[in-house]
Amino acid sequence: MKSTATQLGAAQIKRTFSWVDVIVLLGVFGLLWTILHFGRGMVIQFDENQSPAISTDIRSIPYYAGRTVLRMWLAFVFSLLFTFSVGYAAAKSRAARAVILPALDILQSVPVLGFLSITVTGFMALFPGSLLGVECASIFAIFTGQVWNMAFGFYHSLVTIPKDLQEAATNFRLSLWQRFGTLEVPSSMHSLIWNSMMSFGGGWFFVAQSEAITVLNKNIKLPGLGSFMATAVENGDNTAAVWAIVAMLVVIIASDQLIWRPLLAWADKFKIELVESGDAPKSWLYTFLRRVYIFEWIDEKISGPLSDASIRLKKALARLEIIPAHSRGAAGRWVSRLLFGMLALWVVYQMIVGVMAAAHAVYDHVSWHQFLRLCFLGLLTMGRVATMTILATLVWTPIGVWIASKPNVARFAQPFAQIAASFPVNMTFPFVVGFLVAAHISINWGSIVLIAMGTQWYILFNVIAGAMAIPNDLKEAATTYGLHGWSLWRTLILPAIFPFWVTGACTAAGGAWNASIVAELATWGHTTLKAEGLGAYIAEVTQKGDTPMIICSIAVMCIFVVITNKLLWRRLYEHAEKRFHLD
Amino acid sequence: MTTVLTPSPAGTAIDQSAIAELCNVTKTYAVAGGRELKVLDQIDLAIHEGELLALLGQSGSGKSTLLRCLTGLTTPTAGRVLAYGKVLEGINPYASIVFQTFALYPWLTVEQNVAVGLMSKLFTRAEKEAAVEKAIDLIGLNNYHDAYPREISGGMRQRVGIARALVAEPKILCLDEAFSALDVLTAENLRNEVVTLWKEQATTLKSIFMVTHNIEEAVEMATRICVLFPHPGRLGLVMGNNLAYPRNPNDSEFQRLVNVIHETITMQALPDHPPEPASVSGRPVSKARTRMESIPTVPVGRILGLLSILHDHPELDNIYDIANEIGKDYGETISLVKAAEILEFVDTPKDEVRFTELGKKFINADSDTRKQIFAEQVQKLRLFHIILGYLEVQEEIESETVLRDISTALPYENAENVLQTMIAWGRYAGLMDYDANTQLLSRPEEEVEKEEGKKEEIAS
Repeated sequence: MKSTATQLGAAQIKRTFSWVDVIVLLGVFGLLWTILHFGRGMVIQFDENQSPAISTDIRSIPYYAGRTVLRMWLAFVFSLLFTFSVGYAAAKSRAARAVILPALDILQSVPVLGFLSITVTGFMALFPGSLLGVECASIFAIFTGQVWNMAFGFYHSLVTIPKDLQEAATNFRLSLWQRFGTLEVPSSMHSLIWNSMMSFGGGWFFVAQSEAITVLNKNIKLPGLGSFMATAVENGDNTAAVWAIVAMLVVIIASDQLIWRPLLAWADKFKIELVESGDAPKSWLYTFLRRVYIFEWIDEKISGPLSDASIRLKKALARLEIIPAHSRGAAGRWVSRLLFGMLALWVVYQMIVGVMAAAHAVYDHVSWHQFLRLCFLGLLTMGRVATMTILATLVWTPIGVWIASKPNVARFAQPFAQIAASFPVNMTFPFVVGFLVAAHISINWGSIVLIAMGTQWYILFNVIAGAMAIPNDLKEAATTYGLHGWSLWRTLILPAIFPFWVTGACTAAGGAWNASIVAELATWGHTTLKAEGLGAYIAEVTQKGDTPMIICSIAVMCIFVVITNKLLWRRLYEHAEKRFHLD
Repeated sequence: MTTVLTPSPAGTAIDQSAIAELCNVTKTYAVAGGRELKVLDQIDLAIHEGELLALLGQSGSGKSTLLRCLTGLTTPTAGRVLAYGKVLEGINPYASIVFQTFALYPWLTVEQNVAVGLMSKLFTRAEKEAAVEKAIDLIGLNNYHDAYPREISGGMRQRVGIARALVAEPKILCLDEAFSALDVLTAENLRNEVVTLWKEQATTLKSIFMVTHNIEEAVEMATRICVLFPHPGRLGLVMGNNLAYPRNPNDSEFQRLVNVIHETITMQALPDHPPEPASVSGRPVSKARTRMESIPTVPVGRILGLLSILHDHPELDNIYDIANEIGKDYGETISLVKAAEILEFVDTPKDEVRFTELGKKFINADSDTRKQIFAEQVQKLRLFHIILGYLEVQEEIESETVLRDISTALPYENAENVLQTMIAWGRYAGLMDYDANTQLLSRPEEEVEKEEGKKEEIAS
């Protein structure tokens, strides 16, 4: 918290360059060099029959980690672009909204990993003879894993901007661009960064998985931490595997500390409410970077004069009447509408063609008997997902509430749970599978453990957040009336954390469907364990490259996910919103 | 000193000195369930150069909508808006708004917030800085340049709002309840500064158009006052005010103007027509919808509070004094008194408020008798027959059906607000219950149980 007095005092001091600026400059150039260095590896020659060899030398870990991180950031940049354009369109145009919202809803329930084989072949055809095709497929997999959530979040913040703030922008006749930069992005900044952080965390799972895949009976490995791990496991090199896990943890924690925490601390000023928040997020790096002067200098000496020059130019042009005062007239609007309409028609046409072709292929190759078997397998996997959700709830709810009641523990436990949720546990599956084999546990049950390893954390940290959000006066009232034990849980704790639990459990269940593709068919060295389930089935047909069956099995999984979303999660959300909203 | 009382002018010719003008403007909103609500009805109003026009009205009378039509934030359903005699397209370039909620961007400093008013202009950095500095200086915000809105007080925030409006060099400043979120002293101070700003003509500012529900505020500031009657919004009274500035609220002429406005509003809200013949108590007679009277949307607890204050302070006998005592503005007090009146607890000859015999009996009764009396009075209201009629023949009724009936009976009211109030009154009276999950109105539980008991008795 800052009082006005200190703020005013700080403004008086003349700011100049310091050693902090030197560090930041070095950092910026270092970053540029790194991107170029790792980026060069993305466009090398690639022959699909001869995948580049992955070394298991520990010294090559930094390079592989760099490649993995670069992939993550490229996917994130694309996600951000998609979020801005699609979220914006959905918020501004009713026609676009009618298409985009249902589409996002379906797309976010699609198990992305199942599509990997199709996208890999597609992108490889796009960039023949170059590794870029496989890189694109991997980036695309990460992109599809994180983008829907971000786009939804951005749309939601855009439509919930307070009306008076919008009217002010309209009244002072801000251009669309000024409005975007002054009002719309800032007011959604906080949720945008929070959602990005969560999505980025989820992305590690996809990057690790998509780096080493078997498609159409071919092993394709992209240089990266995920493939390093896979190779190490194949070769039975446990030391290298452990080092890969450590490297992954370091990379995740570094992203959290160097990027997301500073961004969250910075974004605190974008909260809409006009009251000062009690405990603003803190970040050592943000505190450090506040001393940087270089950006102010650039603004003062470079971008400022540039914008002045452009304004003088515009004024001169306006005086010469080269640009008419109302250049964006009705004609311009019609042209843009026509273009948008044509684009929409083209997209719809492509979609219809694609769906028709897929339906045809499925109809020709998949019998009713096979389809029913897929549904049965879907039920089995659904049983696993449900078991995982219930078990994780039973285990983590009491623990989460206990953690929340101890502020000192909570301060460490919550970020820890977030990092645990980000960690691509699929990297550690081989070890767990080894344990399952040794302990003679059937993969049919063991896969529940594998699924839970990645997804239970969402339940934990949402429960912690919910329990921490219980207002003090309600807790005091409960103490005054002598509520304890089960009656305290029933009247206060469970209703208060319910909305948070729904969010966590829904995310966990969604992740669990994706995880089932990895968890139900697991390999440890030369042992491969296969559970009865839709996930294993998808994994198997993907390896074989049986396109009609891939499409059909993924469609069945989508149907399962969409139905549970509509029948269960959506209703729980509504119920939570209506009955247990604390306001 | 002249005070001109004129009826609302209908269909005046286009006025050359008018900065902005509404010609026969009607505004209708679509509300839930495909219904339409008329908020403004055939408004003719011009704002001339050099005047400070106040538009008075209760909440929900459509005054904010009128301001939004004038500034181009909304387009009227029918009629025209003119700016300097030309039909307005899009946003009115001569008008800047000062918002009740300040509408500052929390992520921008004071300086940057003020600069938002300049964004549509092609200014270089130096020009921008000079203009912002001038506005900040004018409105007394020096030394606050780099503060964020959340760090400064409400009064200072509204100063930023005014500076932002002024920096856009408007001809007309639109104050949308600009002082109502501020404490009394801060508001008084800021009002004086705004009047000075307008009088001294130190800026491009020619006129001020203010929307308010505070009668004293309007009389203190404005050169012309319009009263907007609600449901649907239409101009009731247009009155000049030539008192010299600074105006003294204790001045007799000031008081006279306030009284004229009080009377106008009271006459409209609480007309002294003879009460309608009471229907047979307890039983809904017919579902006739002719001359169905609406109810003020006030909670039951407030009506009870008003009655007990009247009981404790017999010396309070007119609405104005009551408003002062309970610390509510005049419009809100009128709604409360009206609610008490239609329940026949008080009588209101002119702006006096007197207990009726029933009112005395009610306030002295215990809580069960109170409920009983309240129930009897509610059952006399035609509006309630809509719901009670349904519940007579069936146990439950969907709120959507009732809403449709209410909006047919009262086309100019917000049916949802009316229904909310009816549910609250009906619950207190023990006449109905409502389940927000199923959106069903039902008979209260005890009654249902009693009836079921009866049925069982008959069956056995």
